[in-house]
Amino acid sequence: MNWTPAALSQDIPSGSAAPGQLGDKDIVIWRSASGRIAAWSDRCPHRGMRLSHGFVRGEFLSCIYHGWRYGDGGQCHRIPAHPELTPPDAIKVPVFAVTESDGVVWVAQKDAEPEAPPPGLAGFSPLRTLRLSARPETVAAAFGGTGLDLRGELGGCAVVVLIQPLPDDQCNLHALAANGADTATLDRVSAALEALRRQAETAEEIAA
Amino acid sequence: MRLYDYILSPSCYRVRLMAALAGIKLDLRAVDFHPGAEHRGPELLALNPAGTIPILTDGDLVLTQSTAILTYIAASHAPEWLGDDSPAMRAQVGQWLAFAQRLTDSAGAARLHDMLQMPGDIVALRRSATRTLRELEAAISAVRRRGGIFLVGDRPTIADIACFPYVALAPDGGLPLDAYPSIRLWMRAIRGLPGFVEMPGIHRLHELLPEPGPQPDVIRKERA
Repeated sequence: MNWTPAALSQDIPSGSAAPGQLGDKDIVIWRSASGRIAAWSDRCPHRGMRLSHGFVRGEFLSCIYHGWRYGDGGQCHRIPAHPELTPPDAIKVPVFAVTESDGVVWVAQKDAEPEAPPPGLAGFSPLRTLRLSARPETVAAAFGGTGLDLRGELGGCAVVVLIQPLPDDQCNLHALAANGADTATLDRVSAALEALRRQAETAEEIAA
Repeated sequence: MRLYDYILSPSCYRVRLMAALAGIKLDLRAVDFHPGAEHRGPELLALNPAGTIPILTDGDLVLTQSTAILTYIAASHAPEWLGDDSPAMRAQVGQWLAFAQRLTDSAGAARLHDMLQMPGDIVALRRSATRTLRELEAAISAVRRRGGIFLVGDRPTIADIACFPYVALAPDGGLPLDAYPSIRLWMRAIRGLPGFVEMPGIHRLHELLPEPGPQPDVIRKERA
């Protein structure tokens, strides 16, 4: 297994949590006040609430439902209804391997951490993430490439488009554009990405 | 100002939220929208023949479109929420108010279908809502590239307040917001505004509130 691109760093500012996915697993990607990124199972061990609905205070992520608070390694540190209790070690959120490079958040299964680092993206800056209802190969064909790491030109600008496969014939596109591109150019790339999505979804519908 | 209000209506919430942010107090008159259908009863039909809520009355003035009510509240009490007077900004605010109606007609209708069993082609409604949410996501991502987060200009306006409720409640209509990172950050910015008020299904940013309850170090001290 390789690293899977799961989000752009700019979309998860310090002190916030966001829903994400690794294959068919729901994950929460969150960043502490000090900037530490983490990827956990998106399920509170208490009552199963999605932790991505939760909130970050300092270095902890709290569940929105009953406020159970989790820290480093997914360990539960505080149960507000029992403030005097030190939560047992067993109350722990399953964690995923996570690494951040060139403005992209990459995740992998904890017990199967890839040996190779994620692909280098020097010379590119994150632009935006789009969800689409089409299979990765349909998107790659619409782009004029193959695989999950598409490189070429969109809207007159060099781009990298990372495809993140998702269940139910969907995927995320994490798009990066050449460093230093001006705002007007980036607007064109964004519009070209929308066009790519329409093209791939239309092709998928015709195929279905 | 009297607001004929229903707690679960995103259109009524628009008005409550705008009034709270503008720092004015409304005289709330609860309407039994569901299951009583009081908005289609004689008293309210006399006020608003369209049979919709919210309705805002202020002296002789009767307003029955939530986006027009936002304009009235802002113009009378908090003009900074209208945006500036430049032709482009005036037009942009107007454009977003019209866009908000598309949200009501798609995501809002999908929610009414799923929550209150209102009739509708749910597949078509969700498809139309997805197109609308994608437009919003693209627009906010363009704003973020310019260092902003709000829809028009560098501060929140009635454009944001008009669009916010139906977007935030879209998951009620089977439209998850997971796929829209810029929308999520825009909603975060609105939920963190001073004076922000909640409605069922839309909460403020908990992290801005002081942590409730005794903290472990306090308990340890008390026991010592």
